[in-house]
Amino acid sequence: MKKKVLSTLLALTMTASVLTACGSSDSTNTETTTETTEEAAEETAETTEEAEATEETAEAETDVEKPEKITMMVDGTLVTQENGRDEFEAAWEALTGIDLEINQPDHDAYYDQVGQVFASGDLPDVILLDSTRYTSYASMGVLADITDIYEGSDLQARVSAAGNDALIEGIKIDGRLYGFTPTRGNGCVTYVKKAWLDNCGLEAPTTYDEYVAMLEAFTTGDPDGNGVDGDTYGVSAAGFIGGEAPYVNYLPEFYQDAYPGFYQKEDGTWADGFTEDAMKEALQRIADANAAGIIDPETLTNGTSDCRNKFYEDKFGVFTYWAGTWATNLKTNLEANGLDGELVALEPIAEVGNYIERIAPVWCITASCSNVEGVYKYFIETMLDGGDVQMLWQYGVEGVHWSTAAEEVCGNTYAEGEFHMLENLEKEGTQYTKNHLDPNLVLAPLDNDPGAAAIADENKASAETFAANSVVADLPISTDAMQQYNGDLTTLKNELVANVAQGKITVDEAYAQFESEGGAEWSQAIVDSLNQ
Amino acid sequence: MSKKIDEQTQKNLAILKEANRRSTLRRIKKYRGFYVMFLPVFILALVFHYIPMIGNYYAFTDYKGIAGAKVNWVGLANFTKMFSMAAFHSAFWNTLFLSITKLLLNTFAAVLISLFLNEIVNIHFKKIAQTIIYLPHFMSWVVTASVFTLILSPTSEGMVNQILVSSGIIDKGIYFLAEDTWWKPMFFVINLWKDTGWGTIIFLATLSGISPDVYEAASIDGAGRFQKMRYITMPALQNTIITVLILNLAKVMNLFESVFVLQNDAVLSTSNVLQTYVYYQTFNSGTIPNYGYTTAVGLTKSVVGCILVLICNWASKKVRDGRGIV
Amino acid sequence: MANRVAMKKKKMPVFSVVNAIIFIVLCLIILIPMWKVLVDSFDLKTAYGMKLWPEQFGIAGYKSVFTNPSLYKPFLISVIVTISGTFMGLAISTLGAYVLIQWDLPGRNFFAGFLLFTMIFEGGMIPTYLVVRALHMTNTLWAVTLLPAVNIYDLVLMRNFFEGIPTALFESADIDGCGPVATFFRIVLPLSKAGLASIGLMFAVNYWNNYTNFKLYITNQDLYNFQMKLRSIIMGSDLPQANGGATENTVKNAAVIVAILPFMIVYPFLQKYFVKGINIGAVKE
Repeated sequence: MKKKVLSTLLALTMTASVLTACGSSDSTNTETTTETTEEAAEETAETTEEAEATEETAEAETDVEKPEKITMMVDGTLVTQENGRDEFEAAWEALTGIDLEINQPDHDAYYDQVGQVFASGDLPDVILLDSTRYTSYASMGVLADITDIYEGSDLQARVSAAGNDALIEGIKIDGRLYGFTPTRGNGCVTYVKKAWLDNCGLEAPTTYDEYVAMLEAFTTGDPDGNGVDGDTYGVSAAGFIGGEAPYVNYLPEFYQDAYPGFYQKEDGTWADGFTEDAMKEALQRIADANAAGIIDPETLTNGTSDCRNKFYEDKFGVFTYWAGTWATNLKTNLEANGLDGELVALEPIAEVGNYIERIAPVWCITASCSNVEGVYKYFIETMLDGGDVQMLWQYGVEGVHWSTAAEEVCGNTYAEGEFHMLENLEKEGTQYTKNHLDPNLVLAPLDNDPGAAAIADENKASAETFAANSVVADLPISTDAMQQYNGDLTTLKNELVANVAQGKITVDEAYAQFESEGGAEWSQAIVDSLNQ
Repeated sequence: MSKKIDEQTQKNLAILKEANRRSTLRRIKKYRGFYVMFLPVFILALVFHYIPMIGNYYAFTDYKGIAGAKVNWVGLANFTKMFSMAAFHSAFWNTLFLSITKLLLNTFAAVLISLFLNEIVNIHFKKIAQTIIYLPHFMSWVVTASVFTLILSPTSEGMVNQILVSSGIIDKGIYFLAEDTWWKPMFFVINLWKDTGWGTIIFLATLSGISPDVYEAASIDGAGRFQKMRYITMPALQNTIITVLILNLAKVMNLFESVFVLQNDAVLSTSNVLQTYVYYQTFNSGTIPNYGYTTAVGLTKSVVGCILVLICNWASKKVRDGRGIV
Repeated sequence: MANRVAMKKKKMPVFSVVNAIIFIVLCLIILIPMWKVLVDSFDLKTAYGMKLWPEQFGIAGYKSVFTNPSLYKPFLISVIVTISGTFMGLAISTLGAYVLIQWDLPGRNFFAGFLLFTMIFEGGMIPTYLVVRALHMTNTLWAVTLLPAVNIYDLVLMRNFFEGIPTALFESADIDGCGPVATFFRIVLPLSKAGLASIGLMFAVNYWNNYTNFKLYITNQDLYNFQMKLRSIIMGSDLPQANGGATENTVKNAAVIVAILPFMIVYPFLQKYFVKGINIGAVKE
C-alpha cells in the first residue's frame, strides 16, 4: 500500500513537471500552465490503480536510470539536524523513492571539510560549492559536465519561463555548465533611515552630489534628533574594500563604475579594473569623503557586526547591506532599540547605475558520481519542480517547519488553512523563515507559493529594488597565473586602498607603489592568462 | 714492535666494545619496563604526527588537494617563488619579531606576577586574584579583538583616547590599531592582557613545590623578603622558565590567530606574519589553496623553529651542566 | 637582633599593602574588557559603546542560551571528552615524562628528540585528516580524545616537575626493591600533585575549549561539543533574529559569558592543589 502511494506521488510529480515544461515553452502564460498541471494531476490521480505501471513507463520514456541512493554535502543553509533535518530527509525520500544521505558539516567548517573530501577522494554525488571553488574544481575536472543534460530539460524550461536564463549563462565556464544555482546570489542595497531624511528635510538622493550632501547633513546636523549636532556620521562599512568579490559591495556610491578586480569587458576581453582611471577617481572620492569625516572613522577596524550594532544604536544613517531578509532584520533590531525602523532601500544613484549581484552557491554533481543523469533528474531538477519537492527545499516539512492549521505561533494567530511558518525548534520565540531556498531568490517560483503573502513588505521591497537594479558579477576564472599571483596582488591592492583612504599616501603615490612592488606586473600576467 | 702494540690496542678496544655492548644490553634489560611505559606516547606520536609528516613532500610538487589527480614534481619552484616575494620577507621578519618579543614579555610578566602572587598573605584574596587573572584565557580571540577595538577606538567611544584627550595629553584621538607605529605596542599589550594570567599556572605550581622550611631557615639567617626571592625563589623557577621559553620557541613561527583578529588593511606591512600571509595567499587568490606552496611555507617555518630550538637547547646545556630541555 | 626582627615586622605590612594594591589595580584592568561583555549580555538594548551599567536590564539573553534544547547534549559530550581526555592526556604525559627522567636509559635521548621533533615539524591539515580517516576515526570521539592527548609541551613540563623529586628517593626505592611501576605510583605521582593539578588543568581547559578538532573531524551533529554550539551562537550564523525579546547582540554576549562559567565553577575546587608546600610532607620522610 505504502509503495503504491509513494509511486503515485512520484508519478504525479513527474507528470506535472513534464507538462509544466511543455506549457511554458509554448506560451509564457502561467495561468495556462497551472491549469494544465492541475488537469494532469487529476488524470494521474484517476489512474492510481495503475500507479506502479506508470512509474515504469515514466522511466522507460525518459530513459534515465533512477539512482537507489544519493549522497549529498551541504552547508548550514539547509535546516540542521536539531531543526528537523531528519524529517526533511524522510519527506524527500518519500517523495522521490530514493535513499538520501546528507553530510552537513558545521557552517564555519564547511570549506575545510570540502577540501578534505576532495583530498580524500571520497566524494558525495552532489555538493554545494561557492563560485570560487566551483570554477577551480571544474577546471580540475572533478565536477561532472551537465551542459547537455541541462539543455532541453524541464528544469531549463522552468528557469527560462521565469526569465532567468541569463543567470545560468553566467555560471557557464567556456560555454560548459558544471552545476546549477537554484537561487539568485543576492547582493547589497543601500538603506537610508527614513526618519533621518525627514529630520534633515531631505529626499532620497539620486546623484552622487545629493548623496554626499546627505552624508554631510547626517554628519554635521542632528538627524537623530537628540539635540546634539555632529554626534553622528553618514555611512559606515566593514572596511573600505570587501574581502571577497564583488569587492565594492559595501560602499558602491564611492566606487561607482570602478571595480578593483578582474572583469570581462563588453568585447569579451578581460581587464584589471584596479589599473584603470575610474579606480583612481574612486580612490580619490573615498579619501576625500574620509577626510571630510562623513565616513565612520573606524571603518578600517569594523567588523560587519560592529556596523550593525552602530546602525541599531543610531550612530549613522546610511548602510549598504544585504537585500531581502536583512531588510526585516535591520528594521526589527532598530525597533527593539526603540527607534523608527523605517528604511528606504535606495535605487542606485545615477553614477552607480547598478548594484552588483554575487554569484550564488552552485549545486554540482561530482565526477565520481556513477549516474550523473539520474542524480540530475531526481535531485537537482526536482529541487525547482514547482511542487512538493521544491516546497520541501523552500519551506521545509509540513508540521515541522510550516503548517496550515489554526493556531498561535510566537504570538501570531493564524486561521485554519492559512500558511505560516512554525516556531524554531532551537530558538524559542522565533519563527522559521525558510529552508535552503530563499523564496525571494529562487530561479523558478513554486507553482502556487503559499508563503508569498507572508513575506514582509520591506523584505519584498528591498529584494525587488535590488533585483530590478543589479547586474551579476563576473565568474572568477581560475588560471595558473591567477593562482600564482592573485593572492599577493589582492593583498597589495587592499593595503593601498586602505592607506589612500586613511590619507597616509596620495592616489599617485599608491599607483607608484603598485608599480614598484610588482603589482602591475602580476596584474598584467593574470590579464594575459585570462585573455589567452 | 709497533705492530704488536697496535694489535694489542685493537684487541683491548674490541674487549671494551664488547663490554660496552653487554652493559648496554644489561641496561636495556634493566629498563625494559620503561620501554613499555613509553609505548603509548610513542605509538600515538608515530601515527598522528610522523605519518602525516610524509605530506611535507607536497612542498616540492604542484599538489592541489585532489585525490587521484596527477601530482607533478616541481623541485624547488615553490621555494624560489616564496623567496622572491617581498611580502614573504616582511612576513618572515615580522613573525620572528612579534612572536619572540611577545614570548619574552609574556613570560617575564607571568614570572613577575607569580612571584608577587606568591607573597600575598591573605589566602582568600590570593584565590580571588588568581581566578580573575585566569579569566581572559577563556575569551576567544575574536571576542577579545572586538572588545579591544572598541577600547582603543579613535572616537569618543574609545576609553583610552577619551582619557588621553580629557587629560590634555593629546588633542585628537589616535587610531591605535590602524597606525603602523602603534599597532605593535598594542598587539603586545593585548597579548599580555590575555595570556599572562594563564601563563602563571606553571610557575605557581613550581613555587608551591618549594618547602616552607627553606624560607624559614633563610628568615632565621636574617634574609629579607627580596633576598629570599633572589636566592631561593628565582633559582627554583629558573628551570621552569628556561623550559617554558624553549618549548615556546618551537611554536614561535605558528603565530596566527592573535595577529589575524587584530590586523587590518592599513597595517598589513607591519603586522603580516607567515601564517596570515599564507591565509591571504589562499583567501585572496580567488582559487582553491595551492597546497604545494603553502606546504613549502610551512616547511620553512618548521626549519626556522628547529634552528631556534637547537640554538637555545645548546645554550641551555652550557648553562645547566649538560642537560638540554628534554 | 630583637631590634631587627621588630623592624622587619613593621616593614611587612607596607609591602603587603602595596602588593595588595598592585593586584587590585591589575584585577581591575583585567576586568574592564570583561565588564563590557557582561554588561552587554544583560542589556536588551543593542549598543556599540562602553557602558557602566545595562541600559535596559534583562536576562533574556541567558534565557535564550539556557533554554536552547540543542545545548544539552553537546554539554554532555564536552564533559565526557574532557574527563576521559584529561585522564588519557595525564597518563600519557606522566608515563612519557617518567621515562625521560631516566638519564641512563639506552635510547633516552632518541626518545626525547623523537618527541620534540613533533612539536616543530607537522604534517598539515590534509595529511593528518587522511590518517584519521584511514583509521576510521572521523565522526568518532576517538579523534577528538586521542589527538590532543599527545601534547609534548605538557609532557616536557611534567618532566620538569619530576626532575624536582630528590634523587635520593629514587635510590632508596631502588634499594627497597621497588620496580619502575611501583616507584612511579608510590613516589613519582604522590610527590607531583601540584604538577599533576596544573598540567591536568591545562589538559582539561584544552579539551573543554577544543573547537578545531571537532571542526575538522566531526560532521555528525550528534557528536558536537559545547564549544561548537556556543561558537555558532557567538559567530552568529549571519541570520540573527530577535530571540524571545533578546537581540542578536545580547545573546552573543551571553554566550561568551556562558563559555567562561564552567571554569569559574570548577576552578575553586582545584585551587587547593596550588596551595604552597602541598608536597613537603612526603619529601621529608
